[in-house]
Amino acid sequence: MAKYGMVIDETKCVGCYACRVACQNQNHLRENEAYNHLEEREFGQFPNFNREFLPVQCQHCDNPPCVAVCPTSASHKRKDGIVLVNEKECIGCKYCIAACPYHVRIIKKEGYIEKCRFCIEFLEQGGKPACMTTCMTGVRMFGDLDDPNSEISQFVARNRHRLRVLKGEMNTKPRILYRKA
Amino acid sequence: MKAKPLEISRRSFLKGSAVTAGALSLGLLDFHSWAEASAQAPVTRIPTLCNGCGNRCAVFAYVKNGRIWRIEGNPEANGNQGVLCPKGHGYLHDIYNPNRIRTPLKRVDGKFQPISWEQAYKEISQKINLILLENGPESIFWVNYPQPNHAYALRFMHSLGSPHYFTHGSTCYTARNAAWNYTIGRLPSNDLANSRFIMIIGRNPAGGIDLGQVKDIVKAKEKGAKVVVVDPRHNETAILADEWLPIKPGTDLALLLAMINVMVGEKLYHKEFIKEFTVGFPQLEDEIINYPPEWAEKICDIPAETIIRITREIAREKPHVLIHRGYHGAIGAQYLNSFQTARALAIANALLGNINRKGGIYFAESAELGELQPTHPAPAGPSGPKADGTGIPGRYPLGSYGDGISHSIPELALRGILKCGFVYHHNPLRTNPNPKRVIAGYKKLDLLVVIDPVLSETASIAHYVLPASFYLEADEAVDTKHSGKRAQVSIPQKVIDPLFDSRSGFRIIHDLAKSLGVAKYFNFTLDEANELRLKPLGVTLKDLKTKGILPVGKHWKEGCGKLGTPAGKVEIASSTLEGLGYPAIPRWEAPLVSPDAKDPHSFRLIHGKQAIHTHAMTANQPYLMAISRRYDMIRLLINRKRAEAIGLKDGDVVEMKSLVGEGKIRVKLTEGLHPSCVWLPSGYGIFSKHLTTAYDQGLSYNDFLPTMFDPTVGHAMSSEVIVSVKKA
Repeated sequence: MAKYGMVIDETKCVGCYACRVACQNQNHLRENEAYNHLEEREFGQFPNFNREFLPVQCQHCDNPPCVAVCPTSASHKRKDGIVLVNEKECIGCKYCIAACPYHVRIIKKEGYIEKCRFCIEFLEQGGKPACMTTCMTGVRMFGDLDDPNSEISQFVARNRHRLRVLKGEMNTKPRILYRKA
Repeated sequence: MKAKPLEISRRSFLKGSAVTAGALSLGLLDFHSWAEASAQAPVTRIPTLCNGCGNRCAVFAYVKNGRIWRIEGNPEANGNQGVLCPKGHGYLHDIYNPNRIRTPLKRVDGKFQPISWEQAYKEISQKINLILLENGPESIFWVNYPQPNHAYALRFMHSLGSPHYFTHGSTCYTARNAAWNYTIGRLPSNDLANSRFIMIIGRNPAGGIDLGQVKDIVKAKEKGAKVVVVDPRHNETAILADEWLPIKPGTDLALLLAMINVMVGEKLYHKEFIKEFTVGFPQLEDEIINYPPEWAEKICDIPAETIIRITREIAREKPHVLIHRGYHGAIGAQYLNSFQTARALAIANALLGNINRKGGIYFAESAELGELQPTHPAPAGPSGPKADGTGIPGRYPLGSYGDGISHSIPELALRGILKCGFVYHHNPLRTNPNPKRVIAGYKKLDLLVVIDPVLSETASIAHYVLPASFYLEADEAVDTKHSGKRAQVSIPQKVIDPLFDSRSGFRIIHDLAKSLGVAKYFNFTLDEANELRLKPLGVTLKDLKTKGILPVGKHWKEGCGKLGTPAGKVEIASSTLEGLGYPAIPRWEAPLVSPDAKDPHSFRLIHGKQAIHTHAMTANQPYLMAISRRYDMIRLLINRKRAEAIGLKDGDVVEMKSLVGEGKIRVKLTEGLHPSCVWLPSGYGIFSKHLTTAYDQGLSYNDFLPTMFDPTVGHAMSSEVIVSVKKA
């Protein structure tokens, strides 16, 4: 059984937002509904200055607080590692929004909660997430973290000392790893 | 009739209850209903070209039940190499934008009334015939932003006997093109992927997006290349760079002259290349001693030791190194010294021996499209010069005759020289400097016809507006836009039927020619013309339509050879330029204006692109504008220390004033900007009330710019403006 995960290279994002709009098209989202966010940060003082954009989306945690608080089990964790919301079971109570430390869940106009789904429709046809395939700098890598021969597993093995997770202190065990500058 | 707003829902899309209905009727449903009805529908994938900016990336458009769903990059294209930018994804939604016009319009007593195509053509032609009879054929013009049918627009003007075909070049790139032409005989490309050292001056491919270039920079970095970005602002490409050199705006020429000084003084140049492929090096040796790094430091704010170090570093890796050929920023159309800056940039590259070398500056392979003659004879070229003075000694002798000086159109209209014209896929009222003057000029015309899918600022004052089909609705002319290490031919083609009574750009030109009595120069269909154009390339139209883009011709080979300059070599010293009264060797020239060092409110106003917008054409796109708002991007950037010195906090509203304009805008304080300037993102400041998403959001730098023409090519000098910034 595949266990999907993603690596995001923090050093490569230039903040173009192509991932956000590609994702919106793929998932038929309205213009103000987005599963992908970019957090811009500035460092240093003129002229010794740098900045970065940190892409943030659902971290598909192995210990997902959204799943723990969901009263109807609409938020659930699949065996392949992907966290999903079953919109038919979602009652829109927003507990998951309060519980998610990454602030990546949105309330749909129709009343249910949604967030990044790792483009499962694409995965099932052998594709890759839309945020990844559109990116001009190749910020994201996606694949099976349980397969030691996958590109992503090999990358993780080579870069282990440079990887981190967001808000590790929350013990959410994200399936998105970030490659540090 | 008002179109319904977009309604999109993944829930209904996934529901899986297929509704059978005619594809055409479903195409006009809102996204929500469409998604519900289309869950089980077959998906069609059609290759075409994006039209979200001048790069026109190759894409695949996905259609379900007659509606465009999404697009992705075509991996075969040199230009975008399989990826796409946010504008590409967002702009496709504009096909369903409720602001689109649905029929031809005629302005009567200040209001637009629908009119049939036939009636519009008839009235336009009658008026043009009268105007040309009275004022001569040269009183008509055509101006457009890059578009696939330019050859036919030019043919149309020539068939009427007018030389006045214009592009937007004078507000964008004409100084750069002229400088490369006078130095090496043509505009080259950058072999970024194979470069060992990439220096980029005033160009930001990660923000003014060039997808292929960014991909190539990343490839080069992975192979160990060093990247240095020179820009007054820490631009988006600087995020990928090893070093950012925050130069004082308008002084890039000083940096380049000092780099050349170091190359010559320390003999770091490529000696064999200089000997074999250049003329004028001894003159350069004589003059360049005037520009040591210590001199440059005082002018451009880059420390002398940095200039020396960077020059040594780039020279160490020569010839597989490059200083990016540049675009708008610094060398395109910005400063009084832009032409000399571009000359110095071209010469600095040549000293590194990188002309047509791997990892250097190279000559992209381009395919010669076939001619329509002799089957379809072309009109005789116009007899006279352009009224803008391009190519005329004493006026703008280095100006590009092909591009013309389009921001002179309002001046020529005010002087009664131009009387009528067509504006196609272009919006000069918003994208030209000094809008009050531009409006006065275009309003002076006896006839203004605008061809556009929406009522842009320019369309709003037109006598007639002809609804152009959106790019996903029409086949257009083939072209070789994506040429690189191997030439590529590509085609924009129809993905779905037009939603309204719109027509393709090609068809409108064709119809107008017929209506104006010059149909004999347009006695071919688009398919016939496309087939003739493809003939010498050994590509059939059918194959091209299936693939969208195809490689043609030979592969690029390394090596300089004979160049297209009078000397056949790199002209470090140009006798042609000397003969026309310009320096043979680049000399320091100060910017035209500078901020008042004693006035804490005085700044140079510079501008640049955000990755989410193209000129004024995407600000009305709700998906892209949602990003501008969500991330608070419609702000003026100002250096933190300078801002605090005049009592400004992040997010404050300021009043900005220049000689010709004023406006209010919120500020963003940053450490990533040279203190002498403020930076305004381009693409905002839409004042057409017919563009409901974009209207009255932010400002445009054009509001503050006087009407100016530089003395070499007549470009707009669009960063030669000083503004006063005060808390509102």
